[in-house]
Amino acid sequence: MRLLDQLDLEPRPLIRAALSTAALGALVALGSRGGRWLDPALLGYLLATLFACFGVSYRYWSWLERPATDMYFQDTLRRFLSPRVLLTLPKLMLLALDQIFLQRFIEKRSVKRWGAHALIAWGCLLGFSVTIPLVFGWVRFTSAGLDPNRYEAWLFGFPAGSFPLGSPVAFITFHILDLAAFMVIAGCTLAFIRRLHDEGDAATQRFDLDLLPLLVLIAVSVTGLLLTVSEKWLGGRNFTTIAFMHELTVIVMLLSLPFGKLFHIVQRPAQLGVTLYKADGEAEGRLPCKGCGALFIRANQRRDLEVLFKRLDLDGARHSPSVHHLDLCPKCKRRLMALAQNQRLGGSFDPFHDVPIYAEPVADPTTFRS
Amino acid sequence: MVGDDFGFYIDPQRCIGCRACVGACAECGTHKGRPMIHLDEIDRLVSTQTTPTVCMHCEDPICAQVCPSDAIKRSEDGVVHSSQKPRCIGCQNCELSCPFGVPIVFSGLEQMMKCDLCYDRTSEGHKPMCATVCPSQALLFVPKHQISAMRQNQPLNEFTIGTLKVRTRTALMVPDPGLPLHLDAALLMVGGGF
Repeated sequence: MRLLDQLDLEPRPLIRAALSTAALGALVALGSRGGRWLDPALLGYLLATLFACFGVSYRYWSWLERPATDMYFQDTLRRFLSPRVLLTLPKLMLLALDQIFLQRFIEKRSVKRWGAHALIAWGCLLGFSVTIPLVFGWVRFTSAGLDPNRYEAWLFGFPAGSFPLGSPVAFITFHILDLAAFMVIAGCTLAFIRRLHDEGDAATQRFDLDLLPLLVLIAVSVTGLLLTVSEKWLGGRNFTTIAFMHELTVIVMLLSLPFGKLFHIVQRPAQLGVTLYKADGEAEGRLPCKGCGALFIRANQRRDLEVLFKRLDLDGARHSPSVHHLDLCPKCKRRLMALAQNQRLGGSFDPFHDVPIYAEPVADPTTFRS
Repeated sequence: MVGDDFGFYIDPQRCIGCRACVGACAECGTHKGRPMIHLDEIDRLVSTQTTPTVCMHCEDPICAQVCPSDAIKRSEDGVVHSSQKPRCIGCQNCELSCPFGVPIVFSGLEQMMKCDLCYDRTSEGHKPMCATVCPSQALLFVPKHQISAMRQNQPLNEFTIGTLKVRTRTALMVPDPGLPLHLDAALLMVGGGF
């Protein structure tokens, strides 16, 4: 425990991360038929992936332990453990398409940002969808029997079809990672250009958080493309050196996953849970502000925020036993600041503060009647 | 980095409701086209009084504490920034929990934005947009040592809501800054206003 304290590590997320990594290790062993289908050339990638799994899991479980995150996590958990989940599934699929795959909320933030992000995200997804099964030994290619001109694909150690070399299927299979690399390079370049010209980003961005991940992704993609260049046009010259450089850059990227900006990839699905939570709240109805009476806060969020305030030791923010600060809408909170200043000033800046008003009835200006 | 020797001072009693701050705020590079300053009428039926609200930049921001995605960060210079775009999931916890009603969550964008002291300007030694254009100096961004000579009222950085204490980087001008300003909802109920 003292060691954990010194390293600033939490025991519960640590155990959960170890279990998650062990589960992934078991899946790798199972899918590769006890390791027999693992490619020895990819073992470095496998070790880095397992480390990344441990690091990402640790940070993810730690993140879920934050009281505010836990508020939404518990709601999502309840939703998935209830029979209602079957009714929610179609909506969840549509939301995942809109928010995770098409990322239309980024398009609404900025079309330029969306273009760059979509190329990077889809390029990375495409790359990972090919490389992860290869590294885990779930997918492998061999020559089909004694025929050197046919390639056979194996899925979890079972034959999954073959194709002749030189066929369109072979071309796509061998070059799909090149396509992913081009997408990532194009996306990162667009992101760099945007960041150079956007004064807001220029003021707030940090090299380690915002620029370094782009540089690492470009390095991975360029070294990956160089492998194809060496194999196609240089007769395999320097292939081993380039392969080593590529492995090095990929391992750096995998090891940085838990620490840097790319962690948002595993955070983003939380948006689906929040969208469903908000929809539930709309169905339940909004509560009125206790200052002005305007409907503003969803009933479920009001309840959960009060619990959250207690957990965060903020529950003292009560004006009376029946009025919590959460019961005031943002506008009333802003008005309250000015009213409190006015009270402190004794209304002194109101020139009519002490002047009694003996107003004569004013004729109604909207009518000619006296 | 915003210089520690500069302070932001709000004085609602000087606001004339011209909305110059709102127009200028929308020019800020970090939230282009969207004003983050609020200009509210206190009680339109009985008074023409308006009040500008910018972020108070709390020392221990409640918006950041209630953020489920850990997207709201306070930089070393005490400025609390808009939510980080890759992380924000638009849940509105910050908007509903802020003691001063500052953050705005744009649904559809799934993103919270707020006054960030015009970080693209202040980090390079310029004044925030709103303080630059405010004709009545209801919004003032000046060196801290100058403010006491400029005003009879003095800056106050501590507020109480019930028993909760909130300390802020941005200050409100009051005659007796030694006492924390108590934000009591009863003021809203008694037909408040100026």
